[in-house]
Amino acid sequence: MDSALIPEGVKRCPTWQFIIWIGVVGAVMMWGVFAILLVYIKGLNQTNMNNAYGFALWIWADLTVIALGGGAFFTGFLRYIIGKDELKHIINYAVLIGFICYSSALLILGFDVGQPLRAWFIFWHANVHSMLTEVAFCLTCYFGVLCIEYLPLALENRQIDKVPFFHHLSHNMHEIMAVFAATGAFLSFFHQGSLGGVPGVMFGRPFGFREGVLIWPWTFFLFTWSAAAGGPCFTILITKITEKAVRKKLVKDNVIELLAKISGWMLVGYMVAKIIDTWYWAAFTAPSKGFTLMDFYANNPGSVYGIWILIAEIGVCGVLPALILITDKGRKNRIALFLAVLLAVLGVCLNRWVMVLQVLAVPVLTFENWAQYLPSWQEIATTILPVAYGIIMISLSYRYLPVFPQERELNPIEAPVSQTQEQLPEPETPPAGAEPEPSPSGS
Amino acid sequence: MEKENSKKFGMVIDLDKCTGCGSCMVACMAENNIPFREDETDKLLSVSWMHVYRLTNVKPFPDTEECYLPRPCQHCEGHHGHSPCVSVCPATATDYDMDTGIVSQIYTRCFGCRYCMAACPYHVRQFNWWDPLWPDGMEKSLNPNVSVRMRGVVEKCSFCIHRYQLAKDQAYMEGRREIEEDEYQTACTQACPAGAITFGDLNNPKHAVYQMVKPDKKNGGKPKNPKAFRLLERLGTNAKVYYLSSREWVRRAGDNYLKTEGQAKHA
Amino acid sequence: MKIDRRSFLSFVIGGAAGTALSPLPWKLTDDIAIWSQNWPWTPVPQKGEVSYLNSTCTLCPGGCGILVRKVGERVVKLEGMEGHPVNDGGLCTLGLAGTQLLYGPTRVKTPLKKVNGAWRKISWNAAIAEIVEKLSDLRSKGLPHTVACISGSDRGTVPELFNRFLTVYGSPNFMRTSSIQDSYELTLFLTQGVRAMAGFDVANADFILSFGSGLIEGWESPVYMFRAKSTLRENGGRMDQIEPRLSKTAAKSDKWIAISPGTEGALALGLAHVIIKEKLYNKKFVDTYTSGFEAHKKLVIDGYPPDIVSKITGVDTATITALAKDFARARKPLAICGRGKGYIPGSLQEFLAIHTLNALVGNINQTGGIWAVPEPDYISWPEVEMDKIASNGLQQERVDGAGSKAYPYARYLLGRLPEVINSSQDSPIQVLFVTTANPMYAMPDTQAVAKAFEKIPFVVSFSSFLDETAVNADLILPNHVFLERYEDVPAAHGFPKPIIGLARPVIEPLFNTQHSGDVIIQIANELGGPIADAFPWDSYDACLEETLADKWDALVEDGYWSDEVFSAADWSTAFETDSAKFEFTNEDIESLPRYNPLKAKGDEAHYPLVLIPYDSMRLASGHIGSPPFLIKSVEDYILTANDVLVEVNPATANEYGLKDGKYAFLRTPKGNARVKVRVFDGIMPGLVAIPRGLGHTAFGRFLAGKGVHYNALIGPVEDPASGHDAAWGIRAKLSKT
Repeated sequence: MDSALIPEGVKRCPTWQFIIWIGVVGAVMMWGVFAILLVYIKGLNQTNMNNAYGFALWIWADLTVIALGGGAFFTGFLRYIIGKDELKHIINYAVLIGFICYSSALLILGFDVGQPLRAWFIFWHANVHSMLTEVAFCLTCYFGVLCIEYLPLALENRQIDKVPFFHHLSHNMHEIMAVFAATGAFLSFFHQGSLGGVPGVMFGRPFGFREGVLIWPWTFFLFTWSAAAGGPCFTILITKITEKAVRKKLVKDNVIELLAKISGWMLVGYMVAKIIDTWYWAAFTAPSKGFTLMDFYANNPGSVYGIWILIAEIGVCGVLPALILITDKGRKNRIALFLAVLLAVLGVCLNRWVMVLQVLAVPVLTFENWAQYLPSWQEIATTILPVAYGIIMISLSYRYLPVFPQERELNPIEAPVSQTQEQLPEPETPPAGAEPEPSPSGS
Repeated sequence: MEKENSKKFGMVIDLDKCTGCGSCMVACMAENNIPFREDETDKLLSVSWMHVYRLTNVKPFPDTEECYLPRPCQHCEGHHGHSPCVSVCPATATDYDMDTGIVSQIYTRCFGCRYCMAACPYHVRQFNWWDPLWPDGMEKSLNPNVSVRMRGVVEKCSFCIHRYQLAKDQAYMEGRREIEEDEYQTACTQACPAGAITFGDLNNPKHAVYQMVKPDKKNGGKPKNPKAFRLLERLGTNAKVYYLSSREWVRRAGDNYLKTEGQAKHA
Repeated sequence: MKIDRRSFLSFVIGGAAGTALSPLPWKLTDDIAIWSQNWPWTPVPQKGEVSYLNSTCTLCPGGCGILVRKVGERVVKLEGMEGHPVNDGGLCTLGLAGTQLLYGPTRVKTPLKKVNGAWRKISWNAAIAEIVEKLSDLRSKGLPHTVACISGSDRGTVPELFNRFLTVYGSPNFMRTSSIQDSYELTLFLTQGVRAMAGFDVANADFILSFGSGLIEGWESPVYMFRAKSTLRENGGRMDQIEPRLSKTAAKSDKWIAISPGTEGALALGLAHVIIKEKLYNKKFVDTYTSGFEAHKKLVIDGYPPDIVSKITGVDTATITALAKDFARARKPLAICGRGKGYIPGSLQEFLAIHTLNALVGNINQTGGIWAVPEPDYISWPEVEMDKIASNGLQQERVDGAGSKAYPYARYLLGRLPEVINSSQDSPIQVLFVTTANPMYAMPDTQAVAKAFEKIPFVVSFSSFLDETAVNADLILPNHVFLERYEDVPAAHGFPKPIIGLARPVIEPLFNTQHSGDVIIQIANELGGPIADAFPWDSYDACLEETLADKWDALVEDGYWSDEVFSAADWSTAFETDSAKFEFTNEDIESLPRYNPLKAKGDEAHYPLVLIPYDSMRLASGHIGSPPFLIKSVEDYILTANDVLVEVNPATANEYGLKDGKYAFLRTPKGNARVKVRVFDGIMPGLVAIPRGLGHTAFGRFLAGKGVHYNALIGPVEDPASGHDAAWGIRAKLSKT
């Protein structure tokens, strides 16, 4: 039915299957939309946030998707600026994931604020001292860049490409993509960093506060770094999940391994910096305010914020994946690679969680207690919404756009047997249920 | 920058006198059009510019002691007016006024991002989670000098700045350039039945607040009076609300100290 | 023109670009932001001319001067009056929330009559006609004494009008709500021979020894006491609080002495023992101006040595001895009593024991001491002329037994009323007026009170609010609230000087209400004859102005009149006893049952714990229910959602497996309730403490249904010496749910 739209030389599942799949995911998304409407109509009392938890699940989701969307800028940076040409086989997907992440982030911000109708005051009445102002400007500009980066891919749809204007536009945009990639990298550096600055500048919150250089606290650089390290891991993770879901190899191993290797070394660097930062903070910054490290991790209800969280973030989800990714053996082992990128992604998620929620949970006044928070269903639904939205975007793009340049080569329709061991006897697309699961961190 | 004749309005609360009765809270609610709901027992969802904390010395019966600590906005000066909240507001909806030392809040500009709430260690900033509604007829008691806030914005204690404006207007009409100490007093100061709250200009050595705490200008306004302290002095918030207590454990409860640190160094 | 794909796309893209470049989207963006700043459902307070009017708060007997800020015709805020002798600018939580009572949803807006259990609006004329018919009927049957009135006060023109009405109508049954006023009046009467009010010069004392008085929790005139306490502190004075629980007063004292509840009198006698034994008493005063000292000495020396007192009270002997010495050696020591806000009269012998401490140190009618403040005497209306029916009626015994053989000294014994009614076949009261009181909430054993009120055929409430008593009345004749009416406030409880305040209308009445004074005058007029003759005034306002005579102008001008130069009578003339001296004891006192700590009701085996109430400035527990601001200010460790938290010591919690913040069942011989537990170090083991002022069934959605009502869990304990309620607690059981 929609075969005219499907790229040439690839096989896609039947239309009815696709519609059911989109319908199921769409239902989840509508649940989120319903929750958004409730929030808009009734206000933020629909959440379980309170005056101690002014930031909660949504801001975490925001920071996380932006960090994980960092795969787009960093892969672009490697491809266009550094000149790692192999990465052109994955850059489309990285851009798509980035686009999804950033549009989700903007969506979340759109209902997270108490007065969305005048949220544009952030531009009109901008306060140059605020990290959020920096975030807002860079984020919006970078989202524009992502749109521009995604546009040529969208224009490559078989039918659109037939229009000469769009064909030429797409071609010309490819030519100058390096400029946008550079702009994107520049903007990303600042807004990723500014998001790190959000907790880092809060000198009233000893758990988040960090010293730094000039106006930038150390968390500024740590956030950028962790996004550059964790973002590509997320791109790999989603690629791997997509491959699993559609039961096809889509990107060649050497491309994945290159990206994994770079991520691994980035992660190593990040871990060194993070450990130094944590040590300095625990040994000097916090004590100067009257806190020991364990004041931040002990005596909270249910040990929700026990020291385990620091061990998990730095050890299990930091050092361990870094070590796997920098070894050739680790990268070559499919399970180890998958585990490593998954852990690295979880590490970034955990870091953002801690830097948003634990900052607020730790009592600062000596006569206050740990603040407690459990998200309401409305918050959960609205946070799952971007995941569903991402799955739909990926499904649509995969079906109708040539996202993976190597797909045709890796999966020739005529000669299935000659291909890798992955091939099934019948190279059909899988049933709807086998499509990508929502990843733990949203996409 | 701070000018020659800049004021620095501040408050001194004598915790030896404070009885924890709550008059300051109610006076503030009545003065500043604070909304109320049927269930206000979840204090983290409740708007109250003034909050009275209960401190205890954590000793078992019968050595238990308590102290009550009213907490308005601390009107932090931070470093050169960069109080924890002012510097983070993305829309310039809150500002540090160098002429008065008051941290203001523009409700119609605030769009409810709540960054300031996260940044404030004193929890003085509260969010309007609900539409403020008054039962039929009760809106008649609203004060026209203070605008009613709408749902979705952050609000906080203003040191009753409208009273300063009214006092200045009055002085201007009478041909005076300066107002007297008693012409500008906050609603809580005025109402306190125990006389525990004193309000005035910390830059003016003639004012009671100055004489009570003797702020050390060279040292970020730290009190020279050994019985005086500020909350979370070590964070460098440079607050303008001072507390007096003759009890060591109370003064120590005002800030965080490492176990290895001996007795508090407040003064 | 043929629309092909190209032209269609051009149209769409061009249109989009054109719209974006036009002012339209920007204007809309701006408009929608402006709309969000001016939501029509967010009220905008109307501006208007600002004016300040002075008046007096009547929400409690504190007598604070207030300034009412008006904007146009709206009352915007109540503030304390600066320079006022009682409160000098300060104001309590309830007073500050006063505008919410004026404009709040719990007002009674028109006279209401209960018909088949439902309220029906009724005109003032019809309502008054109905009362007049009932009253005429009773009078014609020779039963005028079956009409009674419960009033929050017996002083001032309005209570006096009610009292005068009852008198000329023929009923002796005017009853004042009981409180520590009763006990202090009796104490002063028995020891000093004067009918006077107790005043406390706390500010000028240098050692306050408080036997459980909530000096900063609403005891006597709250704001005056707050101020006085601060002055005491500024002057370097000391205050010790003797109380089983770390109340706010205890927490703000220099020393908190935990004591077994109900044994405060024994401790006072023990202190007297030490003071006398160590000869630390004021010899000059005791030798010259007192009598009965030897008998008193014998009593305390024989009966109350520190070791025995220690056993009774749980206070160790060293503390007793040291406290006695410190107290006696202080320059201006002052012992005070009456628990919490002082709403329960308490044990007379306990009051006597504590008051005699003041006599031992000679701090009576002295600076920094307890003063006998004369009762206000400005009301001098002509004697009423009574007809035969009235004289006959007045010769009947009071229904509450006050002044009878059994209770010779009590003036009013409202506390006994429910039992009297419940134990009679037919109610001895046929018509009951209730004014400035809410007995169905404020009296212990709510169930018994409700049963008694049920038996009274006709209850008329004069309340401005739909309180518990009004809800259960047969007729409501709503009074103006204090901001809408004139009324004299004849004293400030506990204030050491005579003072009269004037409440005055700062706003036209909002609803179809009438001044209770006017209503009484009108009823009297309609009844005619000598009753009408006793009320010669055209209106209440005329009556008030005439009554206050030469003070009127000052009252209107300043809002209060006070006797600045007043000082309590000199020792040589102060005592109007037979001996003209302060009498530690005398025949009257001897005739009373001896001091004995009163036990809490209930069987110890079934109820191993003891429930005690406590008071808070953030909860109104008198006849006014807490307005929304007050409830909003209540701490989250007292009330959470609709659950009240009861306090228990960690040891007690452990013993009964109770967990902090968890539900528990509280049972007493009088009732039971589901509560939450607050584990609190500041309370003696074996006790359970519950706040007063919660558990309302009336007063609307901001108050009703929140927490548990203490009075529903407790019953009165009659003081054998006075007949008043002296219950300080009740035995209780607290178990896990």
